[in-house]
Amino acid sequence: MREQWHKYQARPAPRYTSYPSALSFNDTVGPERYGRALSAIGLYESLSLYIHVPFCAQLCWYCGCNMRVENRYNRVMPYVLSLQDEIRMVGGLLGGRGRPISLHFGGGTPNFLQPADIERILDAIEMELGLTDDARLAIELDPRLVGDGDIAALAALGFSRISLGVQDFDPRVQKAINRIQSFEMIENCVGLARAAGINDLSFDLLYGLPHQTEASFAETIAKAISLSPDRLAIFGYAHLPEVLPRQRLIDAGALPGPTARVDLTSTADEMLIAAGYQRIGFDHYAKPDNPLAVALREGRLRRNFQGFTDEIARATIGLGASAVSFVNGLYAQNEKSVKDYQDAVAERRLPCAQGVVRTALDNVCAAAIADLLCRSRADLSGVFAGVGETHRRRMSARLEKLERDGVIKFNQIDKIVQIAPDAYGLSRVVAAAIDPRLEAGAVLSKAV
Amino acid sequence: MQFQAGRALASDTDTVDSKAVDTGAVDCEVKTGSARAGSCDLCDVRERSICIDLDPRAMQKVERTMARRAVAKNRAILSEGEPNDSLYIVLRGSFRLSKLLEDGRRQVTGFIFQGDFLGVRHTEQSAYTAEALEDSLVCCFPHRFLDEAAETSPGVKDRLIAKGQTEYHKAQDHIVLLGKKTAEERVASFMKTLAEAVGRERGGGYVEAPFAMSRQDIADYLGLRLETLSRTLSALKKKGFIDSINRKSVILKLEL
Repeated sequence: MREQWHKYQARPAPRYTSYPSALSFNDTVGPERYGRALSAIGLYESLSLYIHVPFCAQLCWYCGCNMRVENRYNRVMPYVLSLQDEIRMVGGLLGGRGRPISLHFGGGTPNFLQPADIERILDAIEMELGLTDDARLAIELDPRLVGDGDIAALAALGFSRISLGVQDFDPRVQKAINRIQSFEMIENCVGLARAAGINDLSFDLLYGLPHQTEASFAETIAKAISLSPDRLAIFGYAHLPEVLPRQRLIDAGALPGPTARVDLTSTADEMLIAAGYQRIGFDHYAKPDNPLAVALREGRLRRNFQGFTDEIARATIGLGASAVSFVNGLYAQNEKSVKDYQDAVAERRLPCAQGVVRTALDNVCAAAIADLLCRSRADLSGVFAGVGETHRRRMSARLEKLERDGVIKFNQIDKIVQIAPDAYGLSRVVAAAIDPRLEAGAVLSKAV
Repeated sequence: MQFQAGRALASDTDTVDSKAVDTGAVDCEVKTGSARAGSCDLCDVRERSICIDLDPRAMQKVERTMARRAVAKNRAILSEGEPNDSLYIVLRGSFRLSKLLEDGRRQVTGFIFQGDFLGVRHTEQSAYTAEALEDSLVCCFPHRFLDEAAETSPGVKDRLIAKGQTEYHKAQDHIVLLGKKTAEERVASFMKTLAEAVGRERGGGYVEAPFAMSRQDIADYLGLRLETLSRTLSALKKKGFIDSINRKSVILKLEL
């Protein structure tokens, strides 16, 4: 990374997995408004479904997800029943409209649930929302909870995409984040997945963890490459102990600094490109024949709550505690606590707690930001036309500065911005520069 | 109306000679009711049904412009995104209606049977594709001429269309079906629709309905997975609603 870019490294930028971000969610969106949006879904409108499983067997100290540690399985059963009830409620509002084309189980730890319970949830979805054989089923797995027959059972249920939470192979790093899992354990999971016919296997890795060095991370990447996953996501760890108290368990003194973080990503990037992976956005990698890489080449790459995606459906229906839906310009998030979620469902209310409706300007900004992140290029004329004079001036100034530093090329006349090829890691910084919603003081993760 | 013979669970026999119309198709026999009847006759009836509303000159025009067309299995008579300028009436056979979803997957949105209508409106871009599930026979009326005929005989098109099920009826059927709450309800409802469309009584409350769509088409249409469809068919067999089913026809026991 160029010298003059270092000042951008430590600058906070939103992750832009949604626009507006969850920070803008408020109580203007509740069950009624979300219910109306659901009823307006088209007969054959493609839907993606997200099912949140907020349980984990153990606390990972870095985690920023909505989860709770659960050690008794019988406490999970009421949650599965609530999910089924929520699915029935949503199905009632859809009345046969909408076609799920993809389904993602995330967490928490989805495989905290036994395959039989996952099947119960799938059955409810099939009955209430419709499910056909070509729908794409994906699930995140904690390798430590993968039992012998689990992956084969999931494959038999129709799951074709699996992402494994790998994080880092270095035992010292694993100890510092309270997530100990041997290389052999991951290797075993990969073998089970391949034997079950899973041909879209993804690893989630984390950089910026305590004790990570360029050398240790290079070894983690080499080990990951040796297992030949179809994709990798290399997320940056955001240390925000004031927002996420559990992160106080992490020794801040052992965290790599801003420059070291950049070195970690550069090392990983060089190794993965050399190994034949294609870079997707700023933190994903995929084999060239993987659907994600194909989507990138065909200009269909998109961003959703899971990161970069080849997802096609525009509407997402989130199910379960804290799950976020996006339907026709409306974001709706379910109650975050398992109890509040279950209570709402028990009272036959949609468990929607908050959300936001996109304005016309939001739509324009969302499209421009998605283009910047997914295609490194965007037409800003709509954004310029939509914002007030003050913001327009500030935006121009920020873009000029980014251009002087060689991060972007900006054409003042047709308002096309192009991110320099080696500045892919700063696309969020460029997006933040044009984001009229970005308020000073918001708590954000570092861009790199 | 005779026209409805294929639709109702009719066992009435058609014995009209196949004298009236040169069908242009060699084999135009069709099984409706318990005996064989010529589709030419059925078609003759259809034309008479237009006749009622047409003066002789208009009728002549419609007759001149109407064309009968054999559609081979897997061929499309309407293609999504392509213009369509004709109304089709299915004389024999069946069609699958489908749409391409954004991801390139196909969604089966309906099935069209004998006596049903397709292409009810002139359009620059058809919203769906209609492919023959088997070798089929259709009558084709250009909308231009139907509209001209309507000038002298108002309402002719509406009355014509009112006699059969159209793609719009099929969309309604589908939405009702997808809203059903159990796989059994969905599959049973589909089977009943099939029986109403093409079934013939076999005595003792049994109805046999031939079908040409694949299991995959049915599962897709019902919003179910193939495995669930198979399981549900077995369950309905166990319950006695389905007497027997193979790849080509199903025998149902309907409550009397």
